[in-house]
Amino acid sequence: MRHLDPLTPDEARELDALDRALSGLPVDPDLRAFEELVADLRATAPEMSPAFAARLEHDVAEGFPQPAERPPLRLRRPRRWVLLPAAGVLAAALVALVVVLGNGDSQTSPSSVALNDTPASKSAAPPVTAEAAPSAAGAAADSAGAVTAQRKAAPALAAPAPATAAIAPAPAPGAIAPAPGPRKVQRTAALALETPTDSFDATTDDVVQTVDRFGGIVASSTIGSDDAAGGEASFDLRIPTDRLDDALAGLSKLGHVASRSQNLEDITGSFQSAQDRLTDARAERRGLLRALSRATTQGQIDSLRARLRANSSAISRLKGDLAALRRRADLSRVSLTVRGVKDGAGAATGGHWSPGDAARDALRVLEVMAGVALVSLAIVVPLGLLGVAVALAARGARRRGRERALDPA
Amino acid sequence: MADPLNTATESFDALYRSSARDLYAYVRTLLGDDASAEDVTALAFERAYRRRASFDPGRGSQRGWLFGIARNAALDELRRRRRSAPLLGELPDDHAAAPDEEADLAVRRTTVRAALATLPARERELVALKFHGGLSNAELATVLGTSESNAGTRVHRAVAKLREACHAPS
Repeated sequence: MRHLDPLTPDEARELDALDRALSGLPVDPDLRAFEELVADLRATAPEMSPAFAARLEHDVAEGFPQPAERPPLRLRRPRRWVLLPAAGVLAAALVALVVVLGNGDSQTSPSSVALNDTPASKSAAPPVTAEAAPSAAGAAADSAGAVTAQRKAAPALAAPAPATAAIAPAPAPGAIAPAPGPRKVQRTAALALETPTDSFDATTDDVVQTVDRFGGIVASSTIGSDDAAGGEASFDLRIPTDRLDDALAGLSKLGHVASRSQNLEDITGSFQSAQDRLTDARAERRGLLRALSRATTQGQIDSLRARLRANSSAISRLKGDLAALRRRADLSRVSLTVRGVKDGAGAATGGHWSPGDAARDALRVLEVMAGVALVSLAIVVPLGLLGVAVALAARGARRRGRERALDPA
Repeated sequence: MADPLNTATESFDALYRSSARDLYAYVRTLLGDDASAEDVTALAFERAYRRRASFDPGRGSQRGWLFGIARNAALDELRRRRRSAPLLGELPDDHAAAPDEEADLAVRRTTVRAALATLPARERELVALKFHGGLSNAELATVLGTSESNAGTRVHRAVAKLREACHAPS
């Protein structure tokens, strides 16, 4: 829009006279020329021909009927496609937001992890996951024998793996081919349970009974009962390796599983080495005995007897090493923690969905909805303002484009 | 409860009765020939009729709204032809003064008509909107997409040029 200087008082008076004359009102005598000009302009206005006036009158009376071959006028409806990209962007933003919020929640909220874990802990859980089995195979193939397969509160368990101390290596993509023969594997596990405070004592008793039922032993235990804190107990357990998975499943049923992890350590190398050294020591002993039987001098006899004593000590030590390694393979070590909690999410109710949980979930839903609404506004408002600005600019450009028709060609 | 569409139809009929002649005069002055003026006038009324339910009183008078539609159609026609419309050269002679009019009146109106033809198209359109269309300054502002004071100023400038052209030696 071009900026024009405002009218002077005289000019404003003249303009007013024009409007008055146009309305048929009298004007000041000194401005009669404007009155005459208006009358002349009105008198020279082109007029419709009678034929056109009649045709237009007919069209108006009939409501502008559409000719058969002429498609009906399409008004603003087709322009609605313009809204589709905006709707798509908004929907994508909402989906992304929900996904981000969902992931963030599962990673940062312990209570959410616990809720997810509950079904797994309450089911008759096969103890080793499909994911853990290849890891075990990989561990077995590792000559260093220190590869660990860890798992924390897996929400779902897959096909069970063989639950024996001598694990048959499972094929794993990219795994090193395992050495032939049975492997010696030491397994350890850590389990943290939460239980309502009022059933804390019963749960700790159940731990001992469960361990007994699977042929294990409680190597040590510490039980602290505190009404205010809820109580906490720690157990150092030894469970027969071939029943470890069943035992862990049984222990997991005693409360809400807050966390659970398992380690596998391949001790085949150590076991084989000790066994070889024992075989060598026994062969040496046999040779010493044969040499003793053939000894002729006292000096030879004394020397051989001294070596036999040292050999016996070595054999005893190697037998002890082998026995210890066998025990490590046969008995798995389990560190169990039981914690009593007051009205904890999921734990206090043993995984049941209570009205309190419903209220918390409803609050969470409202929080997420408010967040979604806020982020949506943050996206939609600037886009809307931008759209309005673009629409106004386009409208102005369209108007200017039309008005260029008034400029000289 | 009144049917909004029926109400709008009655309102449109009244609008037609009060505006048809003025609208045609404006379009005819802008385009310069009868055939195009009739087509554009009919098209403007048809568009207004079909959009009558979308008229928003908060954005101006019905008359200003109708003239806006007509102006867009006329400018589109001008753009299509891309030629300036000679105003009075093609005006029918039936606008000449009647035989019983005084001679000086006839001369004066011929002079005004000729002076109008010499104005640039923008000023000519303003004069046509104001004095042939009979629009108020507020309605002019709606049609031109400008402020009321700006519309008034532009009308005054156009009238000043027209008066100069009337007094210029032929």
